Amino acid sequence: MVGRVLLALTLILCGLSAASAQSNTPILSGGAGFFSATQGNNTFFQPVVAPVLVVPFGEKWLVESRADLRGFISRENGSTGPYQGQFFGTLEYLQLDYNANSHLTITAGRFLTPFGIFNERISAIWINKFQDAPAMTAIGIAGGYSDGFMLRGALISNDRYVVNYTTYFSTLSTVNKLESERTFGGRLGVFIPSVGLEVGTSYQRKLQDQRMNSFGTHLSWTPSGLPLEVKGEWAHSLSGHGYWIQGGYRLSQLGGSNSAIGRLEPVFRMQQFFRSRQVAGDSLPSTNVRRPEFGLNYYLPREIRLNASYGRQFISQSTDVNVWEFGITYRFLFPLLPGGSK
Amino acid sequence: MRHGIVVVVALICLGNTAVVAVAQTDAKSSQSNSKSNPSAATKTSQTDGGKRFQANCGRCHNPPETISPREARAVVRHMRVRAMLSAEDEQLILKFLAP
Repeated sequence: MVGRVLLALTLILCGLSAASAQSNTPILSGGAGFFSATQGNNTFFQPVVAPVLVVPFGEKWLVESRADLRGFISRENGSTGPYQGQFFGTLEYLQLDYNANSHLTITAGRFLTPFGIFNERISAIWINKFQDAPAMTAIGIAGGYSDGFMLRGALISNDRYVVNYTTYFSTLSTVNKLESERTFGGRLGVFIPSVGLEVGTSYQRKLQDQRMNSFGTHLSWTPSGLPLEVKGEWAHSLSGHGYWIQGGYRLSQLGGSNSAIGRLEPVFRMQQFFRSRQVAGDSLPSTNVRRPEFGLNYYLPREIRLNASYGRQFISQSTDVNVWEFGITYRFLFPLLPGGSK
Repeated sequence: MRHGIVVVVALICLGNTAVVAVAQTDAKSSQSNSKSNPSAATKTSQTDGGKRFQANCGRCHNPPETISPREARAVVRHMRVRAMLSAEDEQLILKFLAP
């Protein structure tokens, strides 16, 4: 079944590629990386490739997709024994977009669940300033992916403020590798360009099992003239509530962004999750968790980034552990059809 | 719940119709202003494009180090959906990335 679905999708994408005119060159973008993490005495490694395919089709249509192909290599018994690996492939989105007008895009297919900002905007391995996701981001995203349709766009967009919105419906899917839950939700955000501030709120209602509601708010602040970035989320559901907030300051004011020191970016993140009750399959920690983290990112030429971070994870009713993470990511972009630079 | 979904979708469509009508009026007036001085209008649109890029795309990631014009078209189409750009933002950012 899965094989037939993937074959059909591949044929559709190949057809679209061939049909695309030169002015609508399809591209293959995305990121590749290699990560290592040590939590307490357990060390594991993750090689990752996350290709993004974008196929414009005429002036209004677009097919876009992202997959996550990831290995998980760890010792057989956690901290002892020989290393062994497992490999996973996930189709994160495969969607057909129709730009109905300047303020409305209609999307159908599999898409990243738009709740908060982490899942949609900064989960890509070459964007995320830390190599893992905050634990509480599992609230409201129903596994991360939705299968259904979505309406989104900028309701109002001018120099003073932008109001963006997303609303969607996801159907229940039990197809292997394409699982999704029956949900309904949306997000509304207001961005003020003059101060680089966006605040917004998200909602999701699960329409199966416990039919629970999830609420969230998010904040993103990038002041103009400063290489500073602050982002955060708070979310609540039947399972519990939690927040994460992170900041990064690129030292580009010391000799420019291409100087040896200007390529460095110290980052900080704090996250907490407070468990209210156990809900099966919610992908959240089973108990309260708190984790402050510090890190350093170094942006090399050719879209290569090195990152290192240290965090201390405080877990209720368990032993606190140190978390060390190191990684390298590479962001790539090239056209899928031959042709000149024009 | 189904009635709720239908109402939300109808409200969004209605809101969009009104917003598009206002935006088309604004676009016509800005087109008539730029026709009077084409080169100044091009420079202005590139500057505006840089600002729009920084405001919308630069909030999450750095601009690509190198990008060809034909790659830029697909990238901006992709970003229009991801970052919920308006059609005007899409055109300005495209002029900034592929002048």
